[in-house]
Amino acid sequence: MAMPILSVRDVSRRFGGRQVVAGASFDLHPGRIACLLGPSGCGKSTLLRMIAGLESVDAGEIALQGRAVSTPAGLVPPEHRGVGLVFQDFALFPHLDVAANVGFGLAGMEPAARRERVMALLARFHVERLATAWPHMLSGGEQQRVAIARALAREPALLLLDEPFSGLDGHLRASVRQSLLADLKAAGTAVLIVTHDPEEAMMIADDLILMSSGRILQTGGAEDCYHHPVSIEAARLLGEVVILPARVEQQVAHTDFGPVPAPDMQDGPARLLLRPEDFRLDEKGTAATVVETAFGGAHHMVGLSVNGLGIAIRLTKAPPAAGTCAGFSFRPERARLFPG
Amino acid sequence: MALAAAQLRSGWRLSVPMALAALAGLMAALPLAGVLIAALQGESAGIALRDILRYAATSLLLALAVGLATGFVGSIAAWLVVMHRFPGRDVFAWALALPLAVPAFALAYAYADLFDVAGGLRTWLRAGPGFDLPFGMRSLGGAVFVLSCAFYPYVYLAMRAAFLNQSVNVLEAARMLGCDGWQALRRVALPMARPALAAGVALALMETLADYGAVQFLSVQTLTTGVVRSWSVYGSTASAARFALPLMAFAALLLWIERRGRIGRTHEAGNARWRALEPRALSGAGAALAAGFCLLLLTAALLLPVGWLMWTALEARPDWPRLTGAGARSLTLGIVGAAVTVLLATTLALGTRRLPMAARLASLGYATPGAVMAIGLLVPAGLVWTLLPGSGRAVAIVLLIYAYAARLMAAALEPIDAGLTRVTPSMTEAARTLGRGEAGAALAVELPVARGAMLTAGLIVFIDILKELPATLILRPFDFDTLAVVANNYALDERLGQAGLPSLLIVALSLPAVVWLTRQIAASRPGR
Repeated sequence: MAMPILSVRDVSRRFGGRQVVAGASFDLHPGRIACLLGPSGCGKSTLLRMIAGLESVDAGEIALQGRAVSTPAGLVPPEHRGVGLVFQDFALFPHLDVAANVGFGLAGMEPAARRERVMALLARFHVERLATAWPHMLSGGEQQRVAIARALAREPALLLLDEPFSGLDGHLRASVRQSLLADLKAAGTAVLIVTHDPEEAMMIADDLILMSSGRILQTGGAEDCYHHPVSIEAARLLGEVVILPARVEQQVAHTDFGPVPAPDMQDGPARLLLRPEDFRLDEKGTAATVVETAFGGAHHMVGLSVNGLGIAIRLTKAPPAAGTCAGFSFRPERARLFPG
Repeated sequence: MALAAAQLRSGWRLSVPMALAALAGLMAALPLAGVLIAALQGESAGIALRDILRYAATSLLLALAVGLATGFVGSIAAWLVVMHRFPGRDVFAWALALPLAVPAFALAYAYADLFDVAGGLRTWLRAGPGFDLPFGMRSLGGAVFVLSCAFYPYVYLAMRAAFLNQSVNVLEAARMLGCDGWQALRRVALPMARPALAAGVALALMETLADYGAVQFLSVQTLTTGVVRSWSVYGSTASAARFALPLMAFAALLLWIERRGRIGRTHEAGNARWRALEPRALSGAGAALAAGFCLLLLTAALLLPVGWLMWTALEARPDWPRLTGAGARSLTLGIVGAAVTVLLATTLALGTRRLPMAARLASLGYATPGAVMAIGLLVPAGLVWTLLPGSGRAVAIVLLIYAYAARLMAAALEPIDAGLTRVTPSMTEAARTLGRGEAGAALAVELPVARGAMLTAGLIVFIDILKELPATLILRPFDFDTLAVVANNYALDERLGQAGLPSLLIVALSLPAVVWLTRQIAASRPGR
């Protein structure tokens, strides 16, 4: 395999008494878009800033294109890393117009070449008409495009984006995201995006990096992480889960919704992990009481009670009325078993 | 994997901006160390501890009274102008800050002359209506009146900014929760503005303690007159330093109060949604009362004294060569001093984002009266003069500018700091990731953004230098008179008509700067 653009090895960082990043490791390869996903305060922004050279590391090593740039012994300063960073607040310089903002990193360049390069970048992100506008006149989406063009001006091998879509309006978000991704792909740079929105992360990422409490839980493709989580904690990062208590006896796990094969599992208590949409109405299934229902547009949210256990599932078809009893089953191929 | 050791730098290091800031901070603190050294060594010229205590008591009493008066008058004026509409309000809003252009000693000359026992007004009162005014200006009460007129604008400006910053949403919330307008003021608007009140009063008190020209002329003996007189009359640096010690303690106390005020200041803006206050329209008696109050204040602090000085100046035969020479020197000192101070304050501001201690040293300098600063500088100056005997004049001018810079650095720091808050940490970091070093980011992003604030800071320093008297008296070379010194010399000779002219020249030179500043303050509010 080719040498990774970015290699993070056992990186740790402590602020005061708090371990913010604990032994994080992952690689990022050329041309890939990776998403670092985790809840607020999990250390993902700190990790991003360490990669940019804005924070030091307590332990471990960060290497860019095979060259160590952050070790406990010292840092290559951010200006010598060849890494672009797009800040959550975009951080456009208020005293410079759009063209001057984008050209900021091209200080050594001859003016004519510089102007040409700036205009090419603005054109690539469809904001060339804003060249002489001032940052405070731009919408959130325009500011973002200018910020990305500015970060790409020096042709960094790696572009970092910190919560790039959090400042945008909900209805704009999806379309902005898709067109921006296409433009980033065209630029060919490796991209690392920090986000706390699982749906967004799964739609964007070639590679997902799941992070919680300073640790990297899992890395891999979106579908792989979604359907084959390494732990219940990792599964929760990507969306709602349903946990059924189970008991393993002779390679079979018994639950309130029936048995599931459990090869290579020791006898004893276990937990069965499912997603809410893995359930369906099934006359031959387990009888459960419908406790509550709610209409959510594309699906119905249904609260069930089985032998005193309460779970929340999602159905695409209209559910039975609350208070009635009905049969339910789940898709066994989706079930994941964890000891516990 | 090869470790590019040459490229690596350790996590924390002393950068150029940090080193410069530390240097600037130390510059402001050096004279204070000089005062301590001078106080501990050398012969005292028979100044008893009892005298120092007596002067300290007068200073304290004066400060308390001026603090109360400026606090009330400044707050009421700000509350009237921001929250109400009445005839003349738009003019009063900026005109009420104009007394900043008038040196306190000029007010003292005018009022002492106007209400002099043998003066025209009282002679006429005694002869005509047949009574005499029950007070004399040359008293503690007179000094309180004069200094309150001179320094209330500090409170007024701070409170006006605080009221303007308050979002109407908060006041409306108070109304929705059952407060009437008056209760909303008492329970919400005033408590929110309390940090600004503390800061404004602290500034007025610092100026009160630092004043020499006015109290000296009104024959009130304060610690600052003690400092200047034991140096000028007895020639004793040591006893001057002993008068300076309690002043430094007062200064540190005021600084602590002002700092505490600043901690709370974050309450004001912070709100996500800011909407301008809709001023309440006053009519009838209310409007007359409001306009009357503002007009009275403006008359007392500006129109009457400046008018009287003009009137008396008409009879004086001006010594034009002396006045123009002093004017040129004042102007030069003001411009050079402002440039040096702003330069230092800017390095301080850039550095203190990384090294907060340096700013605290500088603000101790601002709290310290100019006379104390000057005495503290005499110690290192003495050293230079013995080493380079021929350099007297040049060194004295350099020291004078040093004293201005050390004293006013903190005053310049505040607007520059505020200007730099427009540069978010992520902007500086963006400059770093775009290829600039720490100093490069400061030059390319932080400085250009703070350009307007630097002009503001320069004007503030310029005005203060024009009005400065005690430090100039102590440190200036022989024959190097500024307008303030000329005014003081005439006043000492009781030639008030003559003293009025240089005072008026100071007003004329600083008035445009004050007008520009007050407009700036009105324009810089959140939501714009």
